[in-house]
Amino acid sequence: MTQESISAIEGSTAPHEHPFPPLTRGWGWLSWLSTTDHKKIGVMYMVTSLFFFGVGGIEALLMRIQLAAPNARVLTPQEYDNIFTMHGTTMIFLVVMPIFIGLANYLVPLMVGARDVAFPRLNALGFWVFLLGGIVIYLAGFTGSLANAGWFSYAPLSEFSYSSRPGIDYWIVGLIETGVGTIAAAVNLLATIVRYRAPGMTWRRMPLFVWMMMITSLIILYALTPLNAGLIMLLGDRVLHMHFFRANVSGGSAILWQHIFWFFGHPEVYIMALPAFGIMSEVVPVFSRKPIFGYTFVAGSGIAIGLLSFMVWVHHMFAIGLTTAVNGAFSAASMLIAVPTGVKIFNWSTTMFRGRLRLDAPLLFAAAMIIQFVIGGITGVMFAAVPIDWQLTDSYFVVAHMHYVLFGGSMFGLWAGIYYWFPKITGRMMSERLGRWHFWLAVIGFNMTFFVQHILGLLGMSRRVYTYPNLPDYGTLNLISTIGAFILGIAVLMFLWNLVWSFRHGEKAGDNPWDAWTLEWATTSPPPEHNFEKLPPVRSARPLFDLNHPDLAEVTPSPTTEGTA
Amino acid sequence: MTTANSAAGAARGPNVNRHKVGMLFFISSEIFFFLTLLSSYAYLSGAFGNLPRESLAVPRTFVFSLFLFSSSLTVWLAERAFHRGRHGTFRLWMLATIALGLVFLTGQGIEYHELITSGITLNYDVFSSAFFTLTGFHGLHVITGLIMLSSLTGLSFAGKLGPKNESALATIAYYWHFVDAVWVAVFSVAYLIFV
Amino acid sequence: MHRLYSSVNSVLNPASPYAAHIGHLFWITFWISMAILLAVSAFVIFNLIRFRDRGQEGLPPQTHGNTLVEVTWTAIPLAILVVLFVLTMQTMAAVSPPRHPAGDPVNVDVIAHQWWWEFRYPGSHVVTANELHIPAGTSIELKLTSKDVIHDFWVPELGRKMDAIPGHPNTMVIEADKPGVYLGTCAEYCGAGHAWMRIRVVAQTEADYHSWLTAQAQPHPAPRTAAEANGKALFVGLTCSSCHNISGSGAPAGQVVGPDLTHLADRQSLASGALPNTPKDLRAWIADPTSIKPGAHMPNLHLTSSQLDALVAYLEEQP
Repeated sequence: MTQESISAIEGSTAPHEHPFPPLTRGWGWLSWLSTTDHKKIGVMYMVTSLFFFGVGGIEALLMRIQLAAPNARVLTPQEYDNIFTMHGTTMIFLVVMPIFIGLANYLVPLMVGARDVAFPRLNALGFWVFLLGGIVIYLAGFTGSLANAGWFSYAPLSEFSYSSRPGIDYWIVGLIETGVGTIAAAVNLLATIVRYRAPGMTWRRMPLFVWMMMITSLIILYALTPLNAGLIMLLGDRVLHMHFFRANVSGGSAILWQHIFWFFGHPEVYIMALPAFGIMSEVVPVFSRKPIFGYTFVAGSGIAIGLLSFMVWVHHMFAIGLTTAVNGAFSAASMLIAVPTGVKIFNWSTTMFRGRLRLDAPLLFAAAMIIQFVIGGITGVMFAAVPIDWQLTDSYFVVAHMHYVLFGGSMFGLWAGIYYWFPKITGRMMSERLGRWHFWLAVIGFNMTFFVQHILGLLGMSRRVYTYPNLPDYGTLNLISTIGAFILGIAVLMFLWNLVWSFRHGEKAGDNPWDAWTLEWATTSPPPEHNFEKLPPVRSARPLFDLNHPDLAEVTPSPTTEGTA
Repeated sequence: MTTANSAAGAARGPNVNRHKVGMLFFISSEIFFFLTLLSSYAYLSGAFGNLPRESLAVPRTFVFSLFLFSSSLTVWLAERAFHRGRHGTFRLWMLATIALGLVFLTGQGIEYHELITSGITLNYDVFSSAFFTLTGFHGLHVITGLIMLSSLTGLSFAGKLGPKNESALATIAYYWHFVDAVWVAVFSVAYLIFV
Repeated sequence: MHRLYSSVNSVLNPASPYAAHIGHLFWITFWISMAILLAVSAFVIFNLIRFRDRGQEGLPPQTHGNTLVEVTWTAIPLAILVVLFVLTMQTMAAVSPPRHPAGDPVNVDVIAHQWWWEFRYPGSHVVTANELHIPAGTSIELKLTSKDVIHDFWVPELGRKMDAIPGHPNTMVIEADKPGVYLGTCAEYCGAGHAWMRIRVVAQTEADYHSWLTAQAQPHPAPRTAAEANGKALFVGLTCSSCHNISGSGAPAGQVVGPDLTHLADRQSLASGALPNTPKDLRAWIADPTSIKPGAHMPNLHLTSSQLDALVAYLEEQP
C-alpha cells in the first residue's frame, strides 16, 4: 500500500504525534481552553464573533439614536466619535473576519476530508491571540477614551498632537495582535488545503467554499502584513515621536498613511466578501438540487477578484488630489473588478434556473443576498467613476454602499451558511419558523436602515457626523433609518434566540439533513473528534451525490486519470 | 465506501512537507511587510535631504553585508552535511552561520551607534524614523533567525537532532535565506539608491 | 423624491456647470444600473416562484454550465464598463481646472482649521472666515490646504469635493450659475467639531461682489458708543486678540488660530454654521463656546455680563 492509501484508511494525514491528550477530550470548559481541535476552535471563533457582533450592534443603535433627530444631544461628539470608531473596528476586525475564519476552520478540514488543520497548535494560538487583541482594543475604555480617529485612523488626526489620549495606542496594539492571529489562521488553512485534501480531490473537485477560503487566505497573507507595518509606523509616531505621517511638521506624509492603509483596506473588504461568496456557491446549488452553474468560472472569478483586489486601493483616495493618470488607472481597475463579481452573481442566479428550489431559510437568505449585493455592487461601480466619487465619497451614500455589500451581502450570506451548517455543527436543525421571522425582519429592517442613506448622501449629508442641521428631509430620512435599525436589531435578537433555542430543542439532524454532496456531510452531526470513520471516493466535486446517484455520477477529469471510474 | 486504493489517479496536492509549505507561505507574507517598509522609505526619501549620504557608511556596511550573504552559503553547507549524516560537520557549519550573523549584527550596531552619537536618533527626523525602522525590523528578523539556528545547533549537540527533523532544518534554512534576501533589498534601497 | 432635485445641498440639484457634468454622469450610470438590478432581481424572483419545489419526483436536469453564456455575460458588462470609463475620463477633464486658463480666474486661498474655514483673497488682502463670497458666472479656483488635520471642502451644488491636506496643497474649481446662497460642509472626519464645520458660499453679481470685496478690505468700524469702545478695549486687552484678528482694532496681528472677525456683522452664521448670526447667539457663543460646539478650541473666559454685552456690541458693529 502506498503512503497515501494508508492515510486514506486513517481518514486524513494530519500528523498528530500524540493522540488528543486527556485534558482536551470531552466538553468541559478545560477542554475548550486547551483544545487544538479545529472544530472547537472554529466554534470559539464564531461564538466570540457573535459576542462582538452584539457589541458592535449596540454601538450602531446608539449612533442611530443620536442621529434620529437634528441637533440631538443624546451623545456628545466625543462619545459619538469613540462609538463610530469602535463600531467599524469591531464589525470588521472582531466580527466579520473572525467569524468567517471560524467557519472555515470548522469546515475546511471536513470538506477536504482531513482530520484537522495542518498546524493544530498554531490554530489554537491564533485564536487566543485574536481574542487578546480584541480585549486590548476595548481595554482602552478604562483609560477614559477608546480609539476615536475612525476605523481608518487617518493621519495627522490619529497622531499624538491631535489625539493625545491612549485609546489609539491600544487600538494599534490590539489590531497587530488580531492581525497575527488572522495571519496564523491563513497560513494554516493554506497548508491544509494544499497538503491534506483527500485522495482523489484534485483542485477541480474541491468545494467552492474551500476555493474561496484559499483565495481569502492568500489575500490575508499579503494585505495584513502591510497593515501591521503601517500600524507599527503610526505607533512609532505616537509613542516614540517618529516622523512618518506628521505632515506640516517634519516632512512626514499624511498621504503615505492612506496608501499603506488602503493597500490593506481594499483587499480587506474582499476578505470579508469572498467567504460569503463561497457560502453562496455551496448553499444555492444544494437548495436548487443541481450543481453550481459554471464551477470553473466561479472558481476562476474568485482568483481574478483576489488578484485585482490589490490593484484598486487608490479608489478610496480619489478626492485627495492625485493626478489624472493615477485616478484614471485606478478607476479602470475598479470598474474591471465588477466583472468577475458579476459573473458570480449570474452563475448563482442561473443555478436556480430550472432547479427544484427548497425555499428554506438558507436559500431565502441567499436570494436576498444576491439582490442586496447587486445594489451594493452598483453603487460601487458608481464610485469607480471618479467624478461621481468626487461628489459622493465621504457622504452617507458611501455608508449606504458599504453596508449593502457588507451587511446585505456578506452578513446575509453568512446567515445562509449558519442555517445550512448549524445542523452539522450541533446535530440539530434550526427552527424554520423562527428563521422566517428572522429573515423578513432582517430584510425589512436592513433595507429600511440603509436604503434612505443613499438619498441622504445625495442630499449632501457628510459621514461621521455626530449630528446635522435641520435641512429639508434630513430629519425624516434619519428617523426612518433609525427605526429600520431597531427593526434590524430585533431581527438579530430573533437570530440569536433561534441559535439558543435550536441548540436545545431543535429537531435532530442526522448526518445529511439537506441531502447535500460535499464531504462534511459524510460523517455524523456533529462529527467525531477525528472527523471521519471512512471517506467516500472522490471523483467529482459532489462525492455524496455520486454515491447516491451512481447513474448520474460524472467523473471530473483529473490529470492522472487513465479512464473513468 | 473507499478502501485504501481508491479512485484511479489519486491526484492530490504535491507531497510536500507541511512545515515547509507553512514556512513558505509565512515568508511570502513577510515579504509584503518589508515591501511596505521599503516603499515607504522610497516615498519619504524626498524629504531626507543629504542626511543619508552624509551619515551612512556605505562601504563598511557592504563589507558587513558580505558576512550575512556568506552565511547563506554556510547554512546550505550545513544542510548538505546533515543530509549526508555528518553531524559534526553540520554543527560546524551551523556555528559558522551563527557567527557570521552575529558579525553582521555587530556591524549594524556600529552603524547605529555612530548615528545616535552624532545626534541622529530614532526620532530625529523622517530619515532617521524610516532608516531605523527599516533596518531595525530586518535586524529583529535576523535575531529571530539566529535564535532558531542556535536552538537547532543546541539540540544537535545534545544528540536530539536526527533525520526525522529534516523538515525543521529545511524550514529554518528557508527563513534564513529570506532574511538574507531582504537585506539585499534593504541595502540596495537605503545604501545605494536613496543615498 | 422630487426633493432630491430641488433641495438645497443636493448633488442632483446642480447650480454649477461642474455639478451639472457630474450629475449627468450620475444619471447615465444610474439608469444602466437600474436596468441591471431589475434584470437580476426579476430573474431571481422568477426562479424562486417558477421553480419552487412542488413535491415532484426525481431531480432537475443537472446542468453544469455553458461556456457561451459565460463569455456573453462577461463580455457585455465589460463593454458597458468601457463606455462608462470613457465618460468618466471626459467628465474628469470637464470638471478639473483647465491647464491653460483663459484670462485671470478669481482665486481664493482656502485654509482649513479645526473647525473653521479661513478664506484669503490674494489680490485684495481680504481675509474672512466660513462664508465664501464669489462672483456668479465665473470659475473660481480654490487653493486648498490645512493648518492641522485633513479636512475636505464640499459644496454639492457647485461641484466636486476635495481634501485640504497639510503638506499637500490642492487646487479645485467651483462656479455658481446664478447668485444665491449655497451650503456645504467639511467632508473628512477631522475630530470633535467635524459636524459643525459647515460652509456657506454666497454667490453675487459682479457688481455686488466687488462692493463686498471693497467693504471687506476696510478696517472694522471704529467704536461709536461707549459699549463698543469698551468692547474694543476688551478685545485687545483680554486674550481674544491672541487668536483672532480684527483689522483696525489696534491689536498686533498674531498667529492665525481663530477666525478673522473683521466685519463679523456681515456674515449670516456663526461658529462655522452652528448658530445664526444674531447678537443673542453671539453672546451665547462667547459666554460658553463648548456648550454649543463641544470640543471647540475656544476657551470659556468666564466673562461678566457687561463684558459680554460690550464685546458683542463691538463685534456686531455695522459700518
